[in-house]
Amino acid sequence: MKLKLNKKDVENFLKGLIEEYDLYAPAQLTEGVSVFKKIDRPEEVNLTQPVTQKPAKEAFFPQSEVMFRYEETGNRGQAVSTEQIRKERILLGARPCDIEAISIIGKVFEAEDYTDVYFAEKRKRTTIIGLGCNHPLSTCFCSSTGGGPFNRAGSDLFFTDLGEAYFVELLTEKGMAFRENKFFKEADPKDLDLMKEIENKASQKVDRTIPVEGIEKRLDLMVESPFWDRIHEKCIGCGVCTFLCPTCHCFDMTDEAVNQKGQRVRNWDSCLFPIYSLETSGHNPRPTGRERTRQRLMHKFNYYPKNFGRVACVGCGRCILYCPVQFDIREALVYASAKRGKGQKGKFK
Amino acid sequence: MIQQQLREKAKELLSNKTVDLIIGFGEWTLPLRTTPVFIRTPEGAESLVWNSFCENNLTAYLHKFSRLKIGLVVKGCDARSVVALNLEKRFPNHPPLLIGIPCQRLVDRKKVKKAVKGEILQAVEQGDLLLVKGEDVNVTLKREDFLYSVCQVCTHRTPHQAHILIGDPVEEVSPVEAHPDVVALEGMFPEERWNFFEKETSRCIRCYACREACPMCYCAECFVDSSRPRWIEKSFSPSDLAFYHIVRAYHQTGRCSGCGACERACPMDIRLTYLTQKLNQEVKDLYGFETGIQPEAAPPLSTFDPEDKQEFIK
Amino acid sequence: MENESVTTWEPKILAFLCNWCSYAGADLAGTSRVQYSPNIRVIRVPCSGRINPLFILKALQSGVDGVLVSGCHPGDCHYISGNYAGRRKSATLKRFLEFLGIEQGRIQFSWVSAAEGVKFSRVVDEVTKDIKKLGPLKKFFKR
Repeated sequence: MKLKLNKKDVENFLKGLIEEYDLYAPAQLTEGVSVFKKIDRPEEVNLTQPVTQKPAKEAFFPQSEVMFRYEETGNRGQAVSTEQIRKERILLGARPCDIEAISIIGKVFEAEDYTDVYFAEKRKRTTIIGLGCNHPLSTCFCSSTGGGPFNRAGSDLFFTDLGEAYFVELLTEKGMAFRENKFFKEADPKDLDLMKEIENKASQKVDRTIPVEGIEKRLDLMVESPFWDRIHEKCIGCGVCTFLCPTCHCFDMTDEAVNQKGQRVRNWDSCLFPIYSLETSGHNPRPTGRERTRQRLMHKFNYYPKNFGRVACVGCGRCILYCPVQFDIREALVYASAKRGKGQKGKFK
Repeated sequence: MIQQQLREKAKELLSNKTVDLIIGFGEWTLPLRTTPVFIRTPEGAESLVWNSFCENNLTAYLHKFSRLKIGLVVKGCDARSVVALNLEKRFPNHPPLLIGIPCQRLVDRKKVKKAVKGEILQAVEQGDLLLVKGEDVNVTLKREDFLYSVCQVCTHRTPHQAHILIGDPVEEVSPVEAHPDVVALEGMFPEERWNFFEKETSRCIRCYACREACPMCYCAECFVDSSRPRWIEKSFSPSDLAFYHIVRAYHQTGRCSGCGACERACPMDIRLTYLTQKLNQEVKDLYGFETGIQPEAAPPLSTFDPEDKQEFIK
Repeated sequence: MENESVTTWEPKILAFLCNWCSYAGADLAGTSRVQYSPNIRVIRVPCSGRINPLFILKALQSGVDGVLVSGCHPGDCHYISGNYAGRRKSATLKRFLEFLGIEQGRIQFSWVSAAEGVKFSRVVDEVTKDIKKLGPLKKFFKR
């Protein structure tokens, strides 16, 4: 069924969503800085930024999440509450790369033997409305990592911006539940044509040449490569690339307790921080930037593909855009896959 | 011109083994940006560039390469950071060789982005102009209108402390006396100032890019990472975010060269330089100290004068 | 902090007193039975130069309404110059926090010698009065 949502109806459509659901969508915090957050008012939603700073993973795996609270009563302690999801949730305006990334994290957090209830519960109760990328950036390489600016995988509904309206596709059972939404109008055949035209144009723009096919095998041979001695040099060891990465999912749990009350919180952590791998003894198995940078790339392009069959990178380009020193993951990938003769070390500039 | 001289100088320094490594700026993928490059061979010197986008303070890398003889490409502010680090005895073995370039002030890429619709694909400097190309736009901007706020107030653009100076010293003038944010905030009520600060810091994602980009942040263990005592928690209360930013800035008292690397590194566009600019102002007012100007003067918080102002003490 | 109604609210003030002068001054105030406001909680430190600005921030964050730092008079420091070093930290921190929007008067400094029991009581009364006027700290402290 082909539907569309006129732009003039968007505000009321959003109003309806906010009443009935917990709505998560991109919102601008200040000019040019957008994140996914829980929306209270329709005008907060801003779908114009091609790549938000923080990715959509935050709707399922927040940067800081209270797992439970506890307090001491009498002389014994007890957990007093856990966060409950009361309403069904909607994630609106996530781009295909971010949606792909959620399933990448899902493979870890929803593994059969160890299910993370916090993530799984949220995902189960969320309907995802994807949004196609009409204007992919020069840093985007989603088509190289198995996606694309109009990749619909993972979306329950999918919107395409046609200018005056959004073209709406209902893709799954969860999506079909919106069939009767009063703001969705029948789309004309020419809307469909326009949608296809936009999709084609955008798809052609995205770089398909970044080599990730079989990268895990090549990295297997590179564990002690001099490549790592050079590539980490300019990395200053901040957490921008990992925190803004839609697939990075490392976390740290801490207890925050004052007097007789406390809470256990889980916060995002980054393998580029020295204390990430620091042991209690004072020993650090990843003592320098070399090992930490290697870990970041190895996890994405070696360990993860070996476990789950695809690279843990969706080509959103955030780590390139926001890196304070312009570390470019594409260059690392190109280098890692370049053919080199025996004994030839290769140069990394 | 300057770029060519810089390359030749670098080549010479590497050929005659005066230095092992030159840290400078190189061309990179994104427009309005450059990237730090690490050059070990004379041929490599060809990749050095110099333009208004050389925004990193490369002094921060000196901690990483402390065992090498380093040639460091510096602007006025970067050179002052080196002086400040030297005062803190950070270079017991090899003080870096400074290759100074008088700075024409840097272009604020975030300001340019806001002025141009859509993605910027190319940006070229031409004298006082900035030619910016987007997907379907071509704009010519005046360089002067898009400078970093810290560069607007900078009056030490020529790195006189450098061992080698490339190009002629520039005239040290500033059209404004104080950082515009500091001036604006000083005119506000305390409540408004706090709200501004809290609103800015509420965007913080604790990636610590501001800390890592700063040459003066080299503590072996930052107070945020300390677990005994645990000064602040790792979760996201506004109070903890404010705490981090107060201490990060305050720890720069009398040490900050005002390069603005912290603010440029921030992916969330948090305004940070007004904090350190204010501290620099206070230190100048109280103790007549400016970071990196007098190479022998002790940092203001590690010394004292019995006659220091104390009207605030009961 | 508990919800205290405005009428019964009394400020909590943390006082960092140097071991050699101000703490002894407070002691003298006590042994001389000089009365002063009961709003301060004292932490004894070796020297006013030992005050890490983090102490002051942590105190405010933990819910005190004001902080008093007190040490030996200039020239009297047990460690010769600790209070001079402390004075510079105090001056810059005070100005910085006020610029950020922490009200003037939340953080106060004094010189109180071991012989100044009366001055100590006066300082505490003044600081308490100032902070009472400002009311409870509404920003920065962690709820």
